[in-house]
Order: sequence, then C-alpha cells, then structure tokens
Amino acid sequence: MNPQEHGAANGLTPESAELVETYFARVHGALLVAATGECAEAVEDLRGHVYEELAATAGTTADVTRVLAELGPPEALAAACSDTAAAPLPSDRYGRSPLTGTILGMPYELRFPTAERVALRWWDPTNPDVLVPRLFGVGWDLNFAAIAVGLGLIKPDDEDVPFASVPERWLAVSAALPAAVAIVLVVLVASFQGLLPAQVAVHWGISGADRFASKGSALILPVAMTLLGLGILGVAWVRRRSPLTRVAAGALATMLCTISCAAYAQQVVTARGGGDTAVLLSLLGVGLALTFVMLVTLARIGRAAEVRRDLDNTSKKGSV
Amino acid sequence: MGNDTDSRLSQFRKGVVELAILGLLHAGEAYGGEIVERLAGYPGLAISAGTVYPLLSRLKKAGLIDSVWRESPVGPPRKYYRLSTLGASEFGAMATAWDGVTDAMDDLLGKGAAR
Repeated sequence: MNPQEHGAANGLTPESAELVETYFARVHGALLVAATGECAEAVEDLRGHVYEELAATAGTTADVTRVLAELGPPEALAAACSDTAAAPLPSDRYGRSPLTGTILGMPYELRFPTAERVALRWWDPTNPDVLVPRLFGVGWDLNFAAIAVGLGLIKPDDEDVPFASVPERWLAVSAALPAAVAIVLVVLVASFQGLLPAQVAVHWGISGADRFASKGSALILPVAMTLLGLGILGVAWVRRRSPLTRVAAGALATMLCTISCAAYAQQVVTARGGGDTAVLLSLLGVGLALTFVMLVTLARIGRAAEVRRDLDNTSKKGSV
Repeated sequence: MGNDTDSRLSQFRKGVVELAILGLLHAGEAYGGEIVERLAGYPGLAISAGTVYPLLSRLKKAGLIDSVWRESPVGPPRKYYRLSTLGASEFGAMATAWDGVTDAMDDLLGKGAAR
C-alpha cells in the first residue's frame, strides 16, 4: 500500500499519510543499520496503532506531527526497540557485530584482535566466567582475572579501573616480558637454524610429527607471530593507550612470542629424534603461567597503589 | 523453568538490582563482599557476585557511588562503597518511580486489596 492508499484507508490526507510513512521508513532504515531486523514486526504493529490513533483526530499534518512526536525520533525508537527485542547473548559483553555470535553452541569471533578486545576477554575481574568467547576464531579463551578471583589472589573490585594505578615502571614490565621471550626465540634461531635438516616438522598430532616443510618456510610462521605480537604491543605504547590496553597488549604479545618459541623449540627437538610433544606443551604451559603471573602481579601492585592513596588521604584529613 | 522464562525473569530483574544496590548504600556504606552477602539474603532478587560487581563498576562510572579503601578491624583494608550526592538524588527519584511501578503492578496482578 502506498502513502495515498494508507491515507485514504485511514481517513488521512495524502500529506499526513506521507509524514507517517516517512517516519516509519526512517525507523526501518535505522533497524537495518543496527542489524536488528527482528524488530520489524513490532514496528509494523506500532504503525497500525499510530493510524488507529490518528483515526480519532481530524488527520491534519499537525495531528500527525503531534502523535509522531510522542514516539520520539525514529532513530531513538529503533534503538529502544532493538535493545528490548534483542536476546541477551553472552557476546553482548564484547559488542554486537555480524562477525560475532554463536555457532553450534560455541561462540565465534571473526573481528581482527585488538588490544582492547584482549583486555575485555583476558582480564575482566567483574566477570566470574573463566571461559569467555575466543579472541579470534571459534571456541573459548581464559579470563585470567576470573581464575585469580577464584584462587583468592584478587577481589573483583580491587582496582577501580584495571591497572590504572600501576606505576609506569611496573607497566613497562608487561612490555619487557614479551620482548625477553622474543630475544629467546632469536637466540634459539641463531643457535639451531644452521643445524636443522632441510625438512622440519611443522605440525604434531597424537602420534607425533605428522606434517613437514622446508626449514626456511617453517620459520615464517613463528617469526610472523612474534612480529605481530610485538607490533600490537608497539602500537599500544606508541599511541599511549590506557594502562589496561597496554597490559593486555603485553599479555597477547607474551602468548604469541611464547607460542612461536615453543613451536621452534619443538621443531629442534623433533629434528634431533624426540618423538613426543612434551617440549611444545610444557613451553605453552610456561607461557600461560608467565602471562597469568604478570597480570596478577600488576593487579596486586595496582590495588596496593589505590589502598596507599586512599589511606594517605584519610590520614591527611584526620591530621588537619 | 524454561530458558525463555529464565531470560524474561533476568530481563526484569536487571533494573531492579541497580535500585537494590542504591537502596542498600542509602542505608549506609558497605564493602563489596558485604553488599553481595546482604543482597543474597533476598533470594527473590537472584543476585550473585557476578551481578553485583559489574553493577558497582557501572554505578561508579556513572558517578552515582564513590569508593574508598579503609583499614579493616579484621584483616587487610577493604574497599567501601557509598552513595555520591548525585547517587542520593538519583536514588530518591528511582524510589519514587518504583512506588508508582509497584502500585500499578499490584493493581494489574490483583494484589491491590492485599496491601
């Protein structure tokens, strides 16, 4: 039905019907932008209600303007509708996007990892969930803060804003740690690359190494992961991002550098006749432990700084 | 209870929990664990630590509550929360609105006569 037909059917002039239709076209447009098309039916019901209300008036453009004004701006109505109708998905905590959601009961995330997203997932003390949607791909990651809270190492509200009160010299530790792990990789490569055979293992299954590549191409992935981690870290520091973002970038870089080191060390061990993946798994465990210890230590330093600040303020007030 | 029912109950409790925390702090300051413990005494609110701490953080960011570390008579210092001036005025407005909501809901649910 076009506006003229709507108007005629509801006793409105074409101009009045045009106003109503323009309003609801804008609501539908805003819903499309917000990727919340499920509200469309509710909006159609509302349109019917508007026409019913206008049927009890003279149907002038002034009547239409008054009735539509009661609904508020079309964009605000669309936002309110999508907020009410959208199911409270766990991924809402991490922002809504068509690139994130759940598939077969498992969360997926296809947006490029940023230090901010790392921070939201890996260190969220107020979220009691240990498993959180994976930073990139399908599955789950660890919320290190929830583990720390569970172990009684910190409380969910210890810091007003995570790491905000940590002195700069301690924040620098979060950058130095992945740099140190990257240096270990450089030392490993310098020591063993020349000694490796032409073909080295690049993938391991339950029964040991099951995929091989030339030692030159096998080096590409570890080096690329290390550079990616250090790159994200560098951007966070050069742009002077928030302490939480910088620490999260440090944690991500530490993990990426450790995975690279672990994979390279396993290549060396496999090339020398080692059959199992103990080195790979042990070093990955070390990487997780290093990241956890770094995050918990910085959180406790942040808490201590906040406590000191508040107790000093209290004693100053008391002595005045 | 089905998932849909759980989801609906969780939706309408969301706003109430915020008012519950403001109400508790209106009676006096409290630390995080104490807030969780006292609100857990109201099973109808179905509040857990996982609900309270994110809300405390949000209310603080909104300037409705303040927090300060204080020495504790037992154990390490504790972070105490209290209503800010803005929070006290917001609580007054919300409590008044809540009276209107409960009156309307009691009437709609046929509980008006029981009051």
